[in-house]
Amino acid sequence: MNINIKDLYFTYPTGLEALKGINLTIESGEQVAIVGQNGAGKTTLARHFNGLLKPTSGSVSIGDWETTKYSTAKLASRVGYVFQNPDEQLFSRDVRTEVSFGPKNLGYSKEKIDELVKRALSLTELNGKTETNPYDLSPAWRKMVALASIIAMDTPIIIFDEPTTGQDALNVGRIARVIAELRHEGKTVITITHDIDFCAENFDRVIALAKGQVLLDGMTKDVLGEEETLAQTYVDPPQLTRLGKALGLKDTVTTQEEFLKAIMWG
Amino acid sequence: MHERLSFHIKRDSFLHRLNPLTKLALTLALILLAFTFPWYWMPHLLALAAIIPLSLLGKVFREFMLTALRLIIPAAGFLFLMQAFFQPVGADVIFQFYFLDMTSESVLFAFRNAMRIVVMVSAFTLFLLTTHPSELMSDLTRRGLPGQFSYVIISTLQILPQMQTKAQTIISAQRSRGLDTESSFLKRAGSLIPLIGPLVFGSLVEVEERAIAIEARGFTSKHAKTSLHEIPDPAFDKSLRWVLFALIIASIGLNIWLS
Repeated sequence: MNINIKDLYFTYPTGLEALKGINLTIESGEQVAIVGQNGAGKTTLARHFNGLLKPTSGSVSIGDWETTKYSTAKLASRVGYVFQNPDEQLFSRDVRTEVSFGPKNLGYSKEKIDELVKRALSLTELNGKTETNPYDLSPAWRKMVALASIIAMDTPIIIFDEPTTGQDALNVGRIARVIAELRHEGKTVITITHDIDFCAENFDRVIALAKGQVLLDGMTKDVLGEEETLAQTYVDPPQLTRLGKALGLKDTVTTQEEFLKAIMWG
Repeated sequence: MHERLSFHIKRDSFLHRLNPLTKLALTLALILLAFTFPWYWMPHLLALAAIIPLSLLGKVFREFMLTALRLIIPAAGFLFLMQAFFQPVGADVIFQFYFLDMTSESVLFAFRNAMRIVVMVSAFTLFLLTTHPSELMSDLTRRGLPGQFSYVIISTLQILPQMQTKAQTIISAQRSRGLDTESSFLKRAGSLIPLIGPLVFGSLVEVEERAIAIEARGFTSKHAKTSLHEIPDPAFDKSLRWVLFALIIASIGLNIWLS
């Protein structure tokens, strides 16, 4: 299911022009990272995908649904959105009930809900915590509950808003495994992030925003190689990329694997 | 994303430049005059000749009128109807609705009370729109008010806009999970639990975190504190406060004398 964005402009009621003429297509099954400085318009853009924000002008379509014609509750069957702070959504007495809230809202059968919840809990490694109250879990695990609650909705598109913020390496690894599994299942995964290493390791395409406009859009390696252009939106390429450049490597490297290959084989 | 942590609107105006204590005194004076001055039309005069001009002077007329239309006038209207129908005064019935009688005396009584409420809420609204809570706290603490007391005032002033912002985010998060908050009344009523849970729990956590944060910065330290931000209190402000104080005393005195 493609996302099509045409001439998207968005102005907040305060008069702030957050998006100024965005044109993008995100194909079904793509893994896309949206990067850029604070206030570049990343979250504003992503909130158009599930109708939380409606364009001031232009259009956003999810498959054949134009977002202005559908409520967020309806669009939730196509686009799942994991908020940055899990505490802004958790309310149930145990993890299982919390995770089943989304699929219930979407009107799935009991059997399907059980199956989806089981799969989401297993993917997020929450199997041993299903009867625990989410607020008795650590913030890192609460983040996984929030992730599971969206994964269980089985939407073709999933958006992660700053998934790695405040997470230790162990949990970043867990989130990376979840994203890899979603990729394997053919889902479109979009993340908003400041974590460039995470972006380089897990995403095929990077969209860099600056002042409400698309600054760069392309394959991760190509975008992260544009050090000078990225500097306009205060994004530094990964350390490995910069090290590779400093060593005079011919190609842009973004991951350890690429770096080692370039060093060993030239 | 734009978070509003108070009702304060940042503008450069005469009202904004007044010392916070002067504005607090002005607010109390308007309220006390409306309630104690022994002239029937006093609340109406204050609303028209003091509060509306003050909102223009404070360059917050638009925001003030929005609050008035959304909150103050509907609340005062409801109060007026309740008192006009249920206040058992007078015999001159001017309107009848089934078994409920509205007399000319009850209308006058209800109108004055509704206008008093209008003045009270409007005066506080103007105060909140033109006074930053942290300035008020700094000034009151500098004048010797215990820090804990100032903290309670500030928390109270900030809690509504903070909860409003938080509630908006929670609504967005739950709508993203398919919660229908836009259709029938029953569905909206059913969506309250997923909204209230994170709101109450989040607010409790925030209160605790804030308490720890301010304690970590020496909130209960017994040493004399300095302030980076000095709030000016010129002679004009001091004189104005005396004038307001005199007006309040005169109003109460007149009220007692004529009763």
